[in-house]
Amino acid sequence: MTGNRFVMLLSTVIALAIAVLLTGRAAAQPQAPIDAADRAPQVLTNPTRSATPAGKTVSKRDVIQSPSASAPITAIGKRTRGGLVAAFWGFAILVVVGAVFVITRKNLIAAVMGMVGTFFALAALYMLLYAHFLAIIQMLVYAGAIMVLFVFVIMILNKPEDEPYAVTGRAGKALAGLAMAYLVFRIGSVLVDVPSTVTAAQEAAPAKTAQGYDWGSTAGVGWNLFNDYLFPFEAVSLLLLIAVVGSIAIARPLKDDDAAEPVAGAGGH
Amino acid sequence: MPSLQSIFTEVGFGHFLVLGAVLFAIGVAGVLMRRNTLIIMMSIELMLNAANLTILTFARMHGDLGGHSFAMIVMAVAAAEVAVGLAIVVAIFRGRRHVDVERMNLLKH
Repeated sequence: MTGNRFVMLLSTVIALAIAVLLTGRAAAQPQAPIDAADRAPQVLTNPTRSATPAGKTVSKRDVIQSPSASAPITAIGKRTRGGLVAAFWGFAILVVVGAVFVITRKNLIAAVMGMVGTFFALAALYMLLYAHFLAIIQMLVYAGAIMVLFVFVIMILNKPEDEPYAVTGRAGKALAGLAMAYLVFRIGSVLVDVPSTVTAAQEAAPAKTAQGYDWGSTAGVGWNLFNDYLFPFEAVSLLLLIAVVGSIAIARPLKDDDAAEPVAGAGGH
Repeated sequence: MPSLQSIFTEVGFGHFLVLGAVLFAIGVAGVLMRRNTLIIMMSIELMLNAANLTILTFARMHGDLGGHSFAMIVMAVAAAEVAVGLAIVVAIFRGRRHVDVERMNLLKH
């Protein structure tokens, strides 16, 4: 019971850390529009510029251009991004809730279902990042294959936990909570350095690849994978072969070793 | 004044990165707190997915498709890791009838 309460406390701490981080970002965000607004009158009232006749035309063009250049970005953003923003928040909440579900449930099947929810929501977030191919692969591999693998093993084991959480005492749990909060803070403080304002170039859909394929499509990722990343691809195929052979060798029933004739040939000593 | 509202209406790449960090932290918490080996492996999967989300966000930021190839390789490695890890779990369970990491201290004594 104390473990459950601790996990709830931990998730609250994590949520607070997110809130603090995002508030820091919000403080940095409106700087850019204010700066742009400040800069335009400065050009207009600049005595050195307005003294020369050429400077006057330049400043006038600046004043005309700056609202027309900045206004459509926010307008487009406000209009078309509303649905995408809602999608991001919905799926982000689903990701976090599913992950917290995984580490809090006593029932293993419930934990797996939380994991599947996290994987599906992550696939949707990949879609938001224009990673169409990876989103499909995420659904097939994680929400399909790996989930089935976990469910299979859980069904084989089928044994409830008697004491699900590590017993380290109240001090250990407090220490773990502090360490987690510190970890979140450190990762977050690194990420704050990422530019917070979304520029129009970042807002736009990614350009096609040099070969003319859509960015993030199967053809584009395949071209990249088989040209720039050919050696890692081959290495991964070898790794998968080793994993298959190794998992069969490990999970093979032990009674094969001391059995008599029929399996002696398959043993291969 | 910087309104709290702009956090929710302006979603940038930082949001995706912070989400990846939070997901990774939750995975670390699961590995540290739980005693069931299967839950620990699920938490490792969460951490790998957090890394993938971060990789894909950076790929989108820089317009580089190499991140997609790398994320795919990470997925393949994760699948291999799950296959071997679950085989080990089954092997341990067959001999000891439990998968409690607190009681897997045979090499300690």
